[in-house]
Amino acid sequence: MSQVLHEIEKKIITSLKNNEKQTPENLEKSTNLSPDQIRRGIEWLKLKGLAIVTESQAISLSLGKNGLESFHKGLPERRLLDLLKNESKKLQDLQKDLGNVFGPAMGLARKNNWVDASEEKIFLKNYPSELPGEKTLKQIGENKISKNEIDADDLSFILKRPDFIIENVIKTKEISLTDIAKSIEITAGLSGEINVESKVPDVFVARTHPLKDTIDEIREIFVTLGFTEIIGSMTQPSFWNFDALFTPQDHPARELQDTFYLDGISAKKIGTSEQIKKISESHKKGWRYNWDINEARKMVLRTHTTCVTIKHLAENKPDEARVFSLGRVFRNEKVSYKHLVEFNQIEGIVVGKNATLRDLMGIQQEFYRRIGITKIKFWPTFFPYTEPSLQTMVYNDRLEKWVELFGMGIFRPEVTKPLGITKPVLAWGGGIERIAMLKYGLDDVREFYNNNLSWLRSTTKCQ
Amino acid sequence: MPVVELSYSRLQKLIGKVSKKQISDLLPFLGLDIESEDKDLIRIEYSPNRPDYSTDLGIALGLQGLLGIKTGIFKLIIKKSNNYVIHADPSVSKIRPFVTGIIAKNGNVDDNLIKQLMAMQEDLHFGLGRKRKKSSIGIHDLDKIIFPLTYTTTNRDHRFIPLNSKSELTISEILSSTDVGKEYGTILGNSIKIPLILDSKKQTVSFPPIINAAVTAVTPKTKNLFVEVTGINKEDAEDMLSVVATILQTAGFTLYSTKILGAKNTSPKLESRKILINSNLINQTLGLDLSNSQIISSLKKSRLDATLKGKNIICSVPAYRFDIFGPMDLVEEVSLGYGIQNLIPILSPSQTLGQPNSISVKLKSLSLIMVGLGYTEALNSSLTSKRVLYEITNREPRNIISVLDSKSQEHTILRDSILPGLLENLSKNIHTAYPQKLFETGTVFSYGNPINETTNLAGISAHQDATFTEIKSILQSALKIGFNLEIETKTLSHPIFEEGRTASISINGKTIGMIGEINSKTIENYKIRVPVVGFEISLSGLIFE
Repeated sequence: MSQVLHEIEKKIITSLKNNEKQTPENLEKSTNLSPDQIRRGIEWLKLKGLAIVTESQAISLSLGKNGLESFHKGLPERRLLDLLKNESKKLQDLQKDLGNVFGPAMGLARKNNWVDASEEKIFLKNYPSELPGEKTLKQIGENKISKNEIDADDLSFILKRPDFIIENVIKTKEISLTDIAKSIEITAGLSGEINVESKVPDVFVARTHPLKDTIDEIREIFVTLGFTEIIGSMTQPSFWNFDALFTPQDHPARELQDTFYLDGISAKKIGTSEQIKKISESHKKGWRYNWDINEARKMVLRTHTTCVTIKHLAENKPDEARVFSLGRVFRNEKVSYKHLVEFNQIEGIVVGKNATLRDLMGIQQEFYRRIGITKIKFWPTFFPYTEPSLQTMVYNDRLEKWVELFGMGIFRPEVTKPLGITKPVLAWGGGIERIAMLKYGLDDVREFYNNNLSWLRSTTKCQ
Repeated sequence: MPVVELSYSRLQKLIGKVSKKQISDLLPFLGLDIESEDKDLIRIEYSPNRPDYSTDLGIALGLQGLLGIKTGIFKLIIKKSNNYVIHADPSVSKIRPFVTGIIAKNGNVDDNLIKQLMAMQEDLHFGLGRKRKKSSIGIHDLDKIIFPLTYTTTNRDHRFIPLNSKSELTISEILSSTDVGKEYGTILGNSIKIPLILDSKKQTVSFPPIINAAVTAVTPKTKNLFVEVTGINKEDAEDMLSVVATILQTAGFTLYSTKILGAKNTSPKLESRKILINSNLINQTLGLDLSNSQIISSLKKSRLDATLKGKNIICSVPAYRFDIFGPMDLVEEVSLGYGIQNLIPILSPSQTLGQPNSISVKLKSLSLIMVGLGYTEALNSSLTSKRVLYEITNREPRNIISVLDSKSQEHTILRDSILPGLLENLSKNIHTAYPQKLFETGTVFSYGNPINETTNLAGISAHQDATFTEIKSILQSALKIGFNLEIETKTLSHPIFEEGRTASISINGKTIGMIGEINSKTIENYKIRVPVVGFEISLSGLIFE
């Protein structure tokens, strides 16, 4: 029987061969190992099927306050009998001598017919050599004694008396060897050898969140493609989220059922008076309705990061720029395996006199290539604030179908002109979770926000 | 985006020589996404700006163009007629001022056409009509109506037999008892006067924008149609009418004009518009070098007309293409006619240097430090619930920022703290091995001009031997190694933490957060069975502005 055993295991087995059943405490003494070493050694042996651990419960007894007093001075009834041994005594004198134990002592003595009373005195009738319970008291004394060792009849006399006996439950473990272990020859020479093939426990690696990893990866790709990151607020006036992007105020996308409006909150300052004037004119001309500034003041949770971009463009009016922003966006949807109310979006723009739709497609293609997606195609689509507009379709090998990824286009003149932006603006964006789902092979987008530790601890970091 | 169901075989009949595969390959290049396919049936998603694509007739027009089978504008031919007059009564001006209409004769009405028209009507009502508020359509059996008509108003006790009913109902009954009445009745508000279309025999034709009369219902026996549109804006009403007219002409009907008179109403013209465009804009935007004739041919493939005039191209846009605002929309039409698949992506070298935002950089460093200290990153929503934020943690709700009409009970308020979410995470992981150590950085919200957004860091540690000392060392070490900041802690009382084991955290006398052992009641509320310690600090104003 070849077994590779640790030095600790060898010591425990050797000791158990000599003395078949031992408690861990016994083993500590017999092997000279520390409690921790014994604990580990027993666990190892148990896992290998070499040791059997039987757990049992025992009750030990010790004396309480009254028990101890009786142990030293004698039981109250014994003290009463001793007082009466030579002469009968007045009740009052006995009371004085015995104090508060007089009552119970007298009660017991009369009940057992040890004493009797005449008109004025108490006298002894009988003097037993051993009173019930005296044996138990002597046996326990100041120690802890297993309940098994005490005569149950005698114990029963005083077990119920207050503060005489304390019962303690003690759990004990006994270790013994299995038949296989008993047959193991312990040799001294192999002490350095361990079972290098056996399984070892996992250690959980602390990590950044997989979705965060994807976000960071995307940020880095944009930076290396020459883009600078801008950030902005998640709460926005409707003005920047919708009006500046030429979304009419009665557009279905602006309704409560799609967009989160903040209850009773509207912004005092939404833009410069010039911006407000030009944008309202653009709406009146393009959409033929009466533009209402109060509608533009309503605060919403941004439905896209484009509001951050357009504000940046309106403030800086660059002739040449590569800018991106990423962050949380919100949609008032029913949460499902493919919809979240809050998710992350990446959005980038290129501003340049010679920026073309083909450049926009080229940047997309390069971006996808860098995140490992090579099978893509572009389809026309519709977005309210870009013209022309495209969407990217990427091939998902696992699902064996084309899935929609980013939307893109060139900002409409109705968007750029009122804000004084004169050069073409290529824009694109999309949900980061979609990319991360492809990356981690997930079919349920909620997984990213469940913070399920078993998933977080097991998902491969580098994909 | 709206979805429509089509049949390949019908499309093939409508388009002319074309295979099923050609159709399915080309649909996306019209901007139509194929959602699902089942033998002959195909479900596609179309953009709300193209209501003509809500029918196979409209899609066939588009595909004919891309395939080169029929190109150029599909011109509406409207025969002049003086037989169909609609008088608008001035009383409509305050409630629904505009009416317009058209007559379509000698078409082949079958179940399929009725189905297509109803789908188109629904989509027009929803999109362009803004749920019938801006404009709405009624399509009627012309032969059941005796012209001239009057577009007028009536009272709520006016009676007629509405569509899908067998008996007469009053307007009030229609509004209170029918589905459409309940859904769209609010458009009319509390107005005493109700819009109505009557024929010359005082027979009710329609109660816009709610319901038509039963008597004019279109059935497979119908030969001739009357289409009316009412609304609050003349142009929108005519836009809507132009889509229906185009589709009906495609379906083989002959169109006749209606004469609209009175109360600022005029007869619809449904004429095409002319827009001037320069080839430079097209080539510069698309990154191509197309000749004028290539541009003109591309526009024709998109079912527009174009002629060259000097250096400019004059483009004719039919009335139903009201999604075309100006030259940039025509650039897109060129790209579609040219074929997106023919545009080759190019990667121009970047003229700019890229840079991440400094806040992102610092947050990333902080994340790596927390990971180094053994903490795993969690991500939670910023929209959360009162239950998570306040009820379980016994925190006092104050200045709650709520969103309106959330569809999800779990997402109704913006978080003012990250820690409760992390505790919630622990409670969902009670069957997983301990120790469990989590952190999160994220935005929290509070009132102020109108909303303040600050970035917080929270950390939490749960295991049998978790102590105040442990979590304080973590925070102290993270800030020291990360940003050379020294924290001080001072006794504090806070409902989320255990009394006597809680401290405020400050740096140079400025309070930045709190730390402590989580209140045993809270831990119990979350059904966590081990001690938990945690902290939360504000990073805004500490490591960045």
